[in-house]
Amino acid sequence: MKLLRALIIIGYLALASFPLLWLGLTSLKTYEDTISARAKFVPWTESSPQSVTFQATFEAYRNLSKPVAGTSHDFYHYLLNSVLIGTLSTLTAVALGTLCAYGFSRFRIPGSKDWLFFILSTRFLPPLAVVVPVLVMYRSFSLENTHLGLILLYTSFNLSLATWLMKGFIDEIPRAFEEAALVDGYSRLRAFFQVIVPQAATGMAVTAVFCLISAWNEFGFAMTLNNYEAKTVPVYFAGLQGNIEGVPWPQIAAGMMIFVLPIIVFTVLVRNHLLRGVTFGTIKQ
Amino acid sequence: MTSVSGSDSSRWLGWSFVTPALLLLLALNLFPLFFSIYLGFTNADLSGGETQGIGARNYTVLFSDARYAGAITTTALFVLCSVSIELVLGFVLALALKDRFPAKPVVLTILLIPMMLTPVVLSLFWNLILNGHYGILNQILGGLGLPQPQWLTSDDLKFVSIVMVDVWMWTPFMMLISLAGLNAIPGYIYEAAEIDRASRLTVFRRITLPMCAPLLGLAVLLRGTDALKQFDLVMAMTGPNDLTTQTLSARVYQVVFRDYKVGLGAAYAVVILVMVIAVATLFVRYMDQLQRQQGRAGG
Repeated sequence: MKLLRALIIIGYLALASFPLLWLGLTSLKTYEDTISARAKFVPWTESSPQSVTFQATFEAYRNLSKPVAGTSHDFYHYLLNSVLIGTLSTLTAVALGTLCAYGFSRFRIPGSKDWLFFILSTRFLPPLAVVVPVLVMYRSFSLENTHLGLILLYTSFNLSLATWLMKGFIDEIPRAFEEAALVDGYSRLRAFFQVIVPQAATGMAVTAVFCLISAWNEFGFAMTLNNYEAKTVPVYFAGLQGNIEGVPWPQIAAGMMIFVLPIIVFTVLVRNHLLRGVTFGTIKQ
Repeated sequence: MTSVSGSDSSRWLGWSFVTPALLLLLALNLFPLFFSIYLGFTNADLSGGETQGIGARNYTVLFSDARYAGAITTTALFVLCSVSIELVLGFVLALALKDRFPAKPVVLTILLIPMMLTPVVLSLFWNLILNGHYGILNQILGGLGLPQPQWLTSDDLKFVSIVMVDVWMWTPFMMLISLAGLNAIPGYIYEAAEIDRASRLTVFRRITLPMCAPLLGLAVLLRGTDALKQFDLVMAMTGPNDLTTQTLSARVYQVVFRDYKVGLGAAYAVVILVMVIAVATLFVRYMDQLQRQQGRAGG
């Protein structure tokens, strides 16, 4: 039984991490080595057509600052778009979500349960179903192909997650804290900023990480509303597929490494809150 | 708290905390829904031109189009295949991972990483792995003396490939929630079963499975509603207009952004929304029930 368990774990670990390992290796290759009929596993100082070794090079990383044939900007241009849109939408979503969660946590709002479930249900809408009317709306407000347009959409897209996660965190803060502050003559708003916000800081950080990753990973809205000016990295990569000079795999892999590295770092940071994050705070551990 | 928050002024204060968020959601989620219904009855076009009401013509076109039925079948099949494989795999993994072993936290974190990564980006990279000529998967299969199928170009296998990548990405999600379910079963129940000399199979069927069931249900609903939206992998691996893998979202993309038919796209959106609302209602009821149970158990 023990052996079986070990086999399952090791086997799956190898299978699950192989694509990421291969991504890392690909980013160190030359174009010829990525499409070689003899798979190249081992980074080495030299390459020969018949062996499994290849000459490791950082050329692909250096090439990221040059635009790929058929695109107008280099990788970092799109990365900057992703960073801008991701961070601004995350900040707004966490701010609005925290306020909203506080309201629902501490006040008697008629129909609060229905409102909360309405907020949750917005998360289920497929981007491609929402995008049709939004496109027409955005055209008339000139929001198509702007950073602002995508920031607004990602904020609303992440609000459900932010509100639900923050409600869980704020519910855990004892009411006695702010009641004491209110008795001391603090206004509601001051009690919120000076008592609740510091207490909920960890929760806000965790929520921000989840919102940031959702915005970072989003493709449906970005692909349809933002294919030109404010193009994000996922849309940029998707567009390289039919490249006239062959898919530039080493460069794509190098860009992907840079793009997913922050996600991996953040995942490690919030690893103890993952369960909460993926279940909208329903399961707390 | 009633003394403070029951008064009229604080009721308004409560609303003022929640209104900004609600307004944004109403503007970017609820309003578009109604707008879709209107657009669905027009001939709105992406290339410009006068928008006119054309009655229910979009719906007659839609319902008589075999590609509409095809997209529904593909989506349903995708949800069914990927979610059930992920559930079984994830649960088996969770059973293997439940007890202590060396470096458990590190292993768990590594296993969970795929579900956090950008689906469209990683599936693009999978194209290199699955490439029929120089892909690493076929090279390994060839080395083992196995057949080397065309994963991305053969009509029989495209769908399988997409499910495969989805399973790689989302099995960790099922594993994570299954683990939470398994860890929540108190040890004394297993001890009691041991005293009663229940067989392993009985313990699994009568204790482990039923006690994990509520959380597994939640996991299936969360994954199911997400899989229903499937767009990213299809776009990255086979493109929006491949009939063997065209999900509803991919179909909408094709109709609106390749054929420029906004009105017809809106009709599609309305049909999808009706389905999503049905599933979401089910989900919301389930969540509500689960929260109440957890509240009872915790309080």
